[in-house]
Amino acid sequence: MTQYLVRRLAQGLVVLFLVSLLTFFLINLAPGGPSSLVDMSTTVAERNARYALFGLDRPVHERYVSWLASAVQGDLGRSINQGLPVTGLLAQRLGATLALALSALVIAGVLGILLGIVAAMNPNRWPDHVVGTVATLGMSVPNFWLGIVAIILFAVELRWLPASGIASIGRGFDVVDRIRHLILPAGVLAFGLMPNVVRVTRAAVLEVKATDYVRTARSKGLRDVKVLRKHMLRNAFVPVTAMLGLITTVLFSGSVVIESVFGYAGIGRLAIEAANGRDYPVILGVTMLAGTVVVVVNLIVDLLYVVIDPRIRHV
Amino acid sequence: MSEVLITTGTAAPLRRRSRFFARVLRQPLGLIAFTVLVLMVLMVVVGPALLQHSPTRTSPLETLRPPSAEHWLGTDELGRDVLARIAHGGRVSLAVGLFSMLVGLFLGIAIGGSAGYFGGRTEAVLMRVVDTFMAIPAFFLILVIVTSFGNHPVMIVVTVGLGFWAQMARSVHAEFKRFRLADFVEASRALGSKHLRLMLRHILPQVMPQATVLATLGVGWAILTEAGLSYLGLGIQPPLASWGNMLQNAQAYLFRAPILAVWPGLFIALTVLSFNVLGNALRDILDPRG
Repeated sequence: MTQYLVRRLAQGLVVLFLVSLLTFFLINLAPGGPSSLVDMSTTVAERNARYALFGLDRPVHERYVSWLASAVQGDLGRSINQGLPVTGLLAQRLGATLALALSALVIAGVLGILLGIVAAMNPNRWPDHVVGTVATLGMSVPNFWLGIVAIILFAVELRWLPASGIASIGRGFDVVDRIRHLILPAGVLAFGLMPNVVRVTRAAVLEVKATDYVRTARSKGLRDVKVLRKHMLRNAFVPVTAMLGLITTVLFSGSVVIESVFGYAGIGRLAIEAANGRDYPVILGVTMLAGTVVVVVNLIVDLLYVVIDPRIRHV
Repeated sequence: MSEVLITTGTAAPLRRRSRFFARVLRQPLGLIAFTVLVLMVLMVVVGPALLQHSPTRTSPLETLRPPSAEHWLGTDELGRDVLARIAHGGRVSLAVGLFSMLVGLFLGIAIGGSAGYFGGRTEAVLMRVVDTFMAIPAFFLILVIVTSFGNHPVMIVVTVGLGFWAQMARSVHAEFKRFRLADFVEASRALGSKHLRLMLRHILPQVMPQATVLATLGVGWAILTEAGLSYLGLGIQPPLASWGNMLQNAQAYLFRAPILAVWPGLFIALTVLSFNVLGNALRDILDPRG
């Protein structure tokens, strides 16, 4: 087990290293990469001073090594446009995105698992078809469009919920207010995420349903609900857990779009601002943060397997 | 689609074919989706030639008009005909979707296939590369590439394809690994077939059903991604219309003309829905195991 974990940890570090290598060189070797940031109405001396400030006067591999050396110590450089440390900017935005992503995950998880079970308990009958339709719609409707429609409906027409932002301006920290701001973006994000959960849950429950131990439990005369709770759920959770890593990437990608639609100041919004302003250190920092979260989640998933299903032994 | 399957059949092609059609007929939703897609392709290929309005000609006196006999879907904020823009924009959106999928399919089969077939060190290295691409959320990778390499439509195609290939590679890898020592592969190897022939002629056809399903779903994903990117202003740039950047325009007029935000969204949703339904139907037809 320990040996397995050490190996997975090493693989995770290799992947993170490759993520940094890929992102750094994509950005720095691009035609008109970071050097294009300099305003051409300035004098040569001023430009050279700026190149030197961001270290752009040095060859790219040297810059990578020094960037990596500071990155492992938690220093991701400075934002070109704001002059602030990238790590600070990320920390400032991370909380908002975590709140959004976790809310969406909870909504999608609970609804998705419930619907998946309902579908699997009635395969090829109407509940299955209804769930399948909802899931396919969730996969097909553009999330930003759904966001726009939700704003028109719930914020403009019905005036039930705020249209954008993280909190009402001029109010101190207020949990209810924060939650009201979360409902629409988290709901829209969850709708796009749910199909994944439904599909995997349905397949997992169907598979467990066909096992001998479930047949035995049924033949003992246990009621369906009890069979489901005592014998099936835990086993069905393994594949659902397995996709948490994939879900994390979907959540990050979704947050980029959804945070823009709802003017929600999180990591995704930061990424778009950086992309529009060609703020390379920030884009690099955001991508590294996302990659790290995904790798860590995948490691946690490996551990969770063993907790959920003790039959799984990592060797 | 059907050609792919038929070439995989070795014995009794005729009976196989009729069984294939029987299975197709059991997927009415898939057939509907396929029909919708054919109509959609017709609309974007032939439509612009039949429509009398230009997608880019502005008309200051006829802005934000509701649907009428002259302009079936109304006009936008610059007085451009919305139907003409939908048809032209669909050309861009569908083309980006299809070509991105081809990029992803090619990379996925080439890299995932090599990793599964050769195994050993090649596999270890290639699969770490796949892991790397899986660890970067697709949208972040796309942002990185688009900001550094610009948003020429060809670049968008490559970029969106790069966001999709790793998943394809994973599944192709598993199948190649499963078949690389199969009897029929060994037999051909014993007859002196080279690696490339073994991979392309013998293993690839086994993988094609699954890859076709993934690719079909991938087109839907690619169209959604391009739409999101263009909506954020980082994808296809105006005056070239795409369904995504039409929505971006429309957002500024949400209160005066909400209908402008409805049309592109409906067309995106309908197209992607059709690809997803078709993909699911193909899964049942081609790959009953999955």
